[in-house]
Amino acid sequence: MSDRRDMAPEGPYPPTDAMLAEKVPQNVQKRQAEELRAAWAPPKGWRYPTAVNNSEVGLWYALTAFGFMLLAGVLALAMRLQLAVPGNDVLSADRFNQFFTMHGSAMMFLFAVPMFEAIAILILPAFLGGRDMPFPRLSAFGFWCFVIGGTFVMGSLLFNVAPTAGWFMYPPLATQDEGPGSDIWLLGLSFIEIASIAAAVELIVGALKCRPPGMRVNIMPLYAWYVLVVGGMILFAFPPLIAGDFLFELERSFDWPFFDPTRGGDPMLWQHLFWIFGHPEVYIVFLPSIAIAAMVVPTVAQRPIVGYSWIVLSAVGTGFLSFGLWVHHMFTTGLPNISLGFFSAASEAVVIPTGIQLLAFAATLIAGRVRMSLPMLWIAGALAIFTAGGLTGVMIGIAPFDWQVHDTYFIVAHLHYVLFGGMVLPVIGGVYYFYPFIRKKMLSDRLGRWAFWLIFTGVNVTFLPMHLTGLLGMPRRVFTYSDGMGWGWLNLISTVGAFVIAAGFAVFVWDLLRPKGSQPRIARNPWDAGTLEWSHDVPEEYWGARSIPHITSRYPLWDDKGLVERMDAGRYYLPDSPHGHRETLVTSVIDATPELAQRVTGPTWITLWAAAFTGGAFIFPTFHMYPPAIICAAFAIVCIVYWLWTATARPPAHEMRDAGLGLRLPTYASGPKAVGWWAVWITMLGDATAFASVVFGFFFYWTAKADFPPEGAQHAAAGWVALATLALVLSWALTLGAREWNRAGRVAAARAALVAAPVLAAGGAGALILSVLDLTPSAHVYPALMWALMVWVSAHALVGIIMQLYCLAGSFAGKLTPRYDADLWNVTLFWHFLCLTALVAGAVIGLAPRVL
Amino acid sequence: MAEHQPAPDEERREFREERESLWRITLAPATWAVHFVICYAAAAVVCAKAPDSIGTLRLGIGALTLLALGLIGWLGWRAWVQWDVRTTGDYRNPLGEAEDRHQFLGHAAVLLSVISALGVLYVALPALFIRSCG
Repeated sequence: MSDRRDMAPEGPYPPTDAMLAEKVPQNVQKRQAEELRAAWAPPKGWRYPTAVNNSEVGLWYALTAFGFMLLAGVLALAMRLQLAVPGNDVLSADRFNQFFTMHGSAMMFLFAVPMFEAIAILILPAFLGGRDMPFPRLSAFGFWCFVIGGTFVMGSLLFNVAPTAGWFMYPPLATQDEGPGSDIWLLGLSFIEIASIAAAVELIVGALKCRPPGMRVNIMPLYAWYVLVVGGMILFAFPPLIAGDFLFELERSFDWPFFDPTRGGDPMLWQHLFWIFGHPEVYIVFLPSIAIAAMVVPTVAQRPIVGYSWIVLSAVGTGFLSFGLWVHHMFTTGLPNISLGFFSAASEAVVIPTGIQLLAFAATLIAGRVRMSLPMLWIAGALAIFTAGGLTGVMIGIAPFDWQVHDTYFIVAHLHYVLFGGMVLPVIGGVYYFYPFIRKKMLSDRLGRWAFWLIFTGVNVTFLPMHLTGLLGMPRRVFTYSDGMGWGWLNLISTVGAFVIAAGFAVFVWDLLRPKGSQPRIARNPWDAGTLEWSHDVPEEYWGARSIPHITSRYPLWDDKGLVERMDAGRYYLPDSPHGHRETLVTSVIDATPELAQRVTGPTWITLWAAAFTGGAFIFPTFHMYPPAIICAAFAIVCIVYWLWTATARPPAHEMRDAGLGLRLPTYASGPKAVGWWAVWITMLGDATAFASVVFGFFFYWTAKADFPPEGAQHAAAGWVALATLALVLSWALTLGAREWNRAGRVAAARAALVAAPVLAAGGAGALILSVLDLTPSAHVYPALMWALMVWVSAHALVGIIMQLYCLAGSFAGKLTPRYDADLWNVTLFWHFLCLTALVAGAVIGLAPRVL
Repeated sequence: MAEHQPAPDEERREFREERESLWRITLAPATWAVHFVICYAAAAVVCAKAPDSIGTLRLGIGALTLLALGLIGWLGWRAWVQWDVRTTGDYRNPLGEAEDRHQFLGHAAVLLSVISALGVLYVALPALFIRSCG
């Protein structure tokens, strides 16, 4: 974007040594610090929940996820009690089903993924010497959605109506399940998945656009690389599941037979969509945890990481390859052997990048002067356990071996080794490592060692025997077994081990929560680490960084001894807040040259309201209460529009701002220089993936079913489909036209376009509805899929209309002008994707069934 | 961003930021992904609709594999030139300079090309060994 009217940064960059050496007068330092302190103070007292600072939201997020993890752990203990001896009756079969379903679901959706997001929100800005995430209110909104959704799903246990079909909800078991259990799972967790995508958008934009000046891509902390990769994986992995949930819930609520083979459906489609999500998911939880190891290991070795490029390779390579593995969860479903072969091969190939990063860690430790610390103990234990889990993974990646142990305790043993070694232990190691940064106190070394050895021993005692239990034939998910099977002693050992793990967690929780008021003030950099988060303030300040430094190496605290002092003195960028705004620095993607002083949002109730109404929109349909759900959805939209209108992309009072070191930066950007544009782009990439998954469904049925579309089936009315597509494309063209006319100063033409565009969009959606109106979606999967595509496009058209009207209103209200047109850029970007969606949907509904 | 004033130690022109992209390091793995998806989709369709033409399928996968390897090889070669390690002898590129960033992106792309080529070969192996849809 090189429009002339875009304000450009002015002044010298990069700063010279002489500029950095100049002292900041004491009185200036004092005034600046007070300005920042006032701008960034989190709200106090009963207004505390309105805080949006990443330090607060991240902490709440982490503690909530950890709480859900403990609950899910208690479920596991109850199951181990039930399985301790043959023929036990501690739990009924139904309650056992609820417990194993919720154990898996909660560990995955309420602990592992949210924990990544929580930790990243908490520490990523500090790694980047930044103030906060680019969209603090979005983090808060995501957090409150997570709390509401998680409480709702877990709460179902108390009413004995929790889902019972296992954490991957296979139809037909789950579709035909009585009671609201499956709906609770589908709607409650879809809601959380959307929050996850919101967090991913935030983290990607944070890592790309909010790095400190000079932090080029080759000197980013490895954690930021992992965040980028994992954020990208979330964007491509979660949408297929959301698409699957969409189809699944349509079947549950309206009897559209997507997974019902008697009416042309196929349960296998769910398995594909679930595992296209489910396998990358494993790496989504593993990579950020190993990223913590990538930060701890150089500190312990007191030297830079060996093979920085190799670790980047392994993160990016694993991210890609992990999408080629999903069918290895489906080796026993009767797919052609050659297909199984592809996935088996990819499953073995992913070992290479995974192994490379472990070797890079080992090389760093060998090359350095190791100072063994408690966090490193956890990391070392994690690598040992993960490697054991990886080895069994190599075994079950081979289809014939998998046929033998599929659905047995061998799999249970494998996945728990992988998850304990690849996620739980490194995260706890990370908690020990980052606790001084997060709470400005130290955790106990002695208690930490107790916790480690208890958990490490417990994991091996619990899960090592399970390999044998599985090889002896014990299936997963049975609530009891008879004495004659000979599995009793193995199960008893596993149960004892589970309680040893629990004891370890009890010690850890006590260490985490015990009062530490009497502890002496900690050192600022207790581990002698080299990365920016250890420039934090002790005692705590809420401004993130006193001033945002210029970075020239991978370990700035080791390489530039005067850096922290200059940061503290406010020698660097954005050292003040003259107008009392919260601001952060936006830099370019590759070389992190300063572009913008971005104003970020502050404390508010609106995110809580928005989350509450969004929650209602998802929770009421669980009980088939549609009118309140629709009312909630409407209020959620109102809240979100209010939030955007009042707090985002407002024309600034001051065009430019003195950013420090002689640099003057603009305070407003639109198009690709604006963080909001990037957020829309990334969100729409995820949205397009979900749509592609629904379209994949069409071709899947065509491939897998001889009667798709059925002989002589009624097709959608071609004329209406063509008209709908045309109207939506025209609406897109007018939106684009509005952007161009507005920018050229032809405001009246832009407004006229923004009046006509929503009318056309509404007409297009209406025509699409008419095109399928004569089809009966509950009769067969073919008309059901046509309806599903129609619902998808129409819902998006509705959002598109709201966006166009938002811009129209902005134009009349003076929020959107030829100079300040970020909203219109973002809306046009949404419409680019919607135009593509409409074209594809038109082709699939109108053309494909007649051609194939 | 040409707006800021050039400092004396300004980066050399050939390493200008706008020539770089993070996307480029993902091209080789993306080639793997496309190869993988085509292999999977083609096998699924052939085995469902015309199991007898699996011979053609295997030949097609072989040709596709050569194509993918050729593309990855070309990407890898370009990245190798960009990395320029034989001239500089610098394997780490740890500095905050445009030149180091440029060579680092080349290095990462070389490594990703290698892993992608291995991935393509792995995925092609089943088509070499398995002769029926089974």
